[in-house]
Amino acid sequence: MAGPWWRQCRRWSTNRTTVSLFETLWYADGRSSSSLGRACWSSGPLNEGQPPSTTQIHLKTLTYNSSLIRQKSRFLYPTRQPCCCRTTHSDAKLKDPFTLAQKDMTSLYDDIKKELFVSTDELKFLCDYYFDGKGKAIRPMIVVLMARALNIHSNGSGGQRAVAMITEMIHTASLVHDDVIDGSDKRRGKRTINEVWGEKKAILTGDFILSAASVILARIGNNAVVKVFSQVIDDLVRGEFMQLGSKENENERFKHYLEKTFKKTASLIANSCKAVSILVNSDPDIHEIAYQYGKNVGIAFQLVDDVLDFTSGANQLGKPTAADLKLGLATGPVLFACQQFPELHGMIMRRFSSKGDVDRAWKFVIQSDGVEQTSFLAKRYCQEAIRQVSMLRPSPERDALIRLTEMVLSRDK
Amino acid sequence: MLPSVCSRLSRVSWFCQGQRTLSLFSSSGSSNWSKVVSDAEKIVGYPTSFMSLRCLLSDELSNVAMHVRKLVGTQHPLLNTARGFVYDSKNNLQMRGLVVLLLSKAAGPSHTASDLLAQDMVSGIYPSQRNLAEITELIHTAFLVHRGIVDLKEWTVSDGPLKDMQFGNKMAVLGGDFLLANACTGLAQLDNTKVVELISSAIGDLVQGVYYENFNNIEENGLISGVNVAQWEEQIFLSHGALLAKSCQAAMELAGHDKESQRLAYKYGKHLSLGHKLNSDLQPFVKSDMGEPVSFSMSAAPVVFHRQIVGQERWHQQLQQAKTLGNQMDYSKLLAAVKSEKGVSSVVDLCCYHSNKALEAIQAFPSSEARSALENIASAITKF
Repeated sequence: MAGPWWRQCRRWSTNRTTVSLFETLWYADGRSSSSLGRACWSSGPLNEGQPPSTTQIHLKTLTYNSSLIRQKSRFLYPTRQPCCCRTTHSDAKLKDPFTLAQKDMTSLYDDIKKELFVSTDELKFLCDYYFDGKGKAIRPMIVVLMARALNIHSNGSGGQRAVAMITEMIHTASLVHDDVIDGSDKRRGKRTINEVWGEKKAILTGDFILSAASVILARIGNNAVVKVFSQVIDDLVRGEFMQLGSKENENERFKHYLEKTFKKTASLIANSCKAVSILVNSDPDIHEIAYQYGKNVGIAFQLVDDVLDFTSGANQLGKPTAADLKLGLATGPVLFACQQFPELHGMIMRRFSSKGDVDRAWKFVIQSDGVEQTSFLAKRYCQEAIRQVSMLRPSPERDALIRLTEMVLSRDK
Repeated sequence: MLPSVCSRLSRVSWFCQGQRTLSLFSSSGSSNWSKVVSDAEKIVGYPTSFMSLRCLLSDELSNVAMHVRKLVGTQHPLLNTARGFVYDSKNNLQMRGLVVLLLSKAAGPSHTASDLLAQDMVSGIYPSQRNLAEITELIHTAFLVHRGIVDLKEWTVSDGPLKDMQFGNKMAVLGGDFLLANACTGLAQLDNTKVVELISSAIGDLVQGVYYENFNNIEENGLISGVNVAQWEEQIFLSHGALLAKSCQAAMELAGHDKESQRLAYKYGKHLSLGHKLNSDLQPFVKSDMGEPVSFSMSAAPVVFHRQIVGQERWHQQLQQAKTLGNQMDYSKLLAAVKSEKGVSSVVDLCCYHSNKALEAIQAFPSSEARSALENIASAITKF
């Protein structure tokens, strides 16, 4: 559905208009294959030697005119005949996402722990380690709310709860492996598994959680849902690979960053939303709404995360600040800041590896409006998420999904 | 030489088909084994490179291969694993895939499933079964890669720079995860959730088996008590048998064969892999060539049996006696101690038992060249 990447890139490189940036960003759905990525490279070096100015990207004056709007002009709920679908949400009057989802969420962790059958006590302990109910559990919450919002369109189905569990399990398995790759010693205020028990055990723990999630997935018995999640796992790994490399060219870099963000964070949320939709509905338009909501919220979520890495106090996030810089990663705020302070370019390319790089980069980012621009971008993604989910029929859960985007934007940890 | 070897990592299993040397059952048994396997390979049609080209030639794996090159000269185990992909090591024979294909062929076309067409078969094997064989190999290889992860806190400066180990770990995690992700994608495309469940549970079994093998085991000094042959065999099944057993069962499921065929295929896979493992554990104890320094794991089957036979106390004495002045273990002395008792012969017996059980399971399939090949493989595991 999205136009080919290279066309976006070309437009970006030739016009440097504001819209093209956003079109590029909106299309960052990670579906571009590496060959298309190469096509981008061949579109030629752009504007070398001409330092880009911040005015290139007039985020605030952007006239938002994505083709997605055109594509989705058919509003689903007003045109639909109100039918006598069973609604499973009816007792819910409050619109607070947490309260609404609470009933489905309370036993989620216990159910996950029950699914982790392990004969070795220690391995069992490690598998349960992060299912302690202390995480934000934002992913399963989105899944649960989406499931209920969609069930108005049809009859509801078993398996949706399993999807919420699988979502959290895949997320956790990937965290455990990421912590080994990044050498992190803290996560959610706890010492990481690799820090306490060593890397070998951490990897096996992640592998086991993934296998248990796959078993639950298989038991749902729906091949389409299995395929959706296999895409997630593929995206997660490819996203991790993308994080190893950096791009020389500035525009390439932004595209690379957003594609990585989609794969590492948004794909799981988008595809989980799609999965609960597939389970209750045969209408591909509704699957697409669910997917687009998840994708846009997911990208916004990660953008906010990248902002918090610069703005949050050391203890709030459960990990040290500027963690990304220390890992050599240039996230949104740095990429935007680089437009104001070209000095950052060299540091990005050497992955902040020289002495003092992290401190200097940090100062540049704080002096720039990189944080504001990244936050603004996150806001735009949330607006698109809202636009998408508004096409569903009204329900308290749908409204909770809308409110949830505000929470994604306003969270401070 | 090494850099060139590593750069070939991603292409190796494809290009080295003709020249791989089969050293799984080295020494006297090897010529017999090579013949059995190469005959079997001809039966299943095209060469048995299961790791799909799509996966091997991907940017991601070339990336890993390129980075692994940087590890040359360090002691990261990933290097050895990578080397093993080139010079066939005992772990990378792609035997599992071959057995899955042979069983698929031996079981023949389905009579019940209407959506499976006999004309889709190549050399009597459904495409989905070929994909399954490939997935089995991908999972096995992913775990070889993940097994090579190093605990950084146990790394001392004298062993080499920590940075190299961190980097090697990163590559091992990503490389293994990439192979697993490809296995997941392949599984999903089989369009059979029963098979997805079976193979996913086999991954869980593998983790548990590897975990046990690495951490719940008799430590280097062999002083932890409580080895129990039955428990040991259960864990060996998880780490060395479950994947093949469940893959064999899944191959039957994919062709729509009934529960009984599935059970027999599972049984064949299970006993073959157990016998296979016992055979390789036995190698240092049955080899006659002196001169090479011997070494073996304290959890090798003959040692486990020996300990059960002589009891903890005698075992501790023997361990003490086998220690040199520098508190180093003299393995040849320990080997002699183990050989003097019935441990080795018990393991040989057990190996024959598993070989027979595998042969028994395969008898229910109609006679064919694929079945003969499976019989030959099951018999070959008792040749030392």
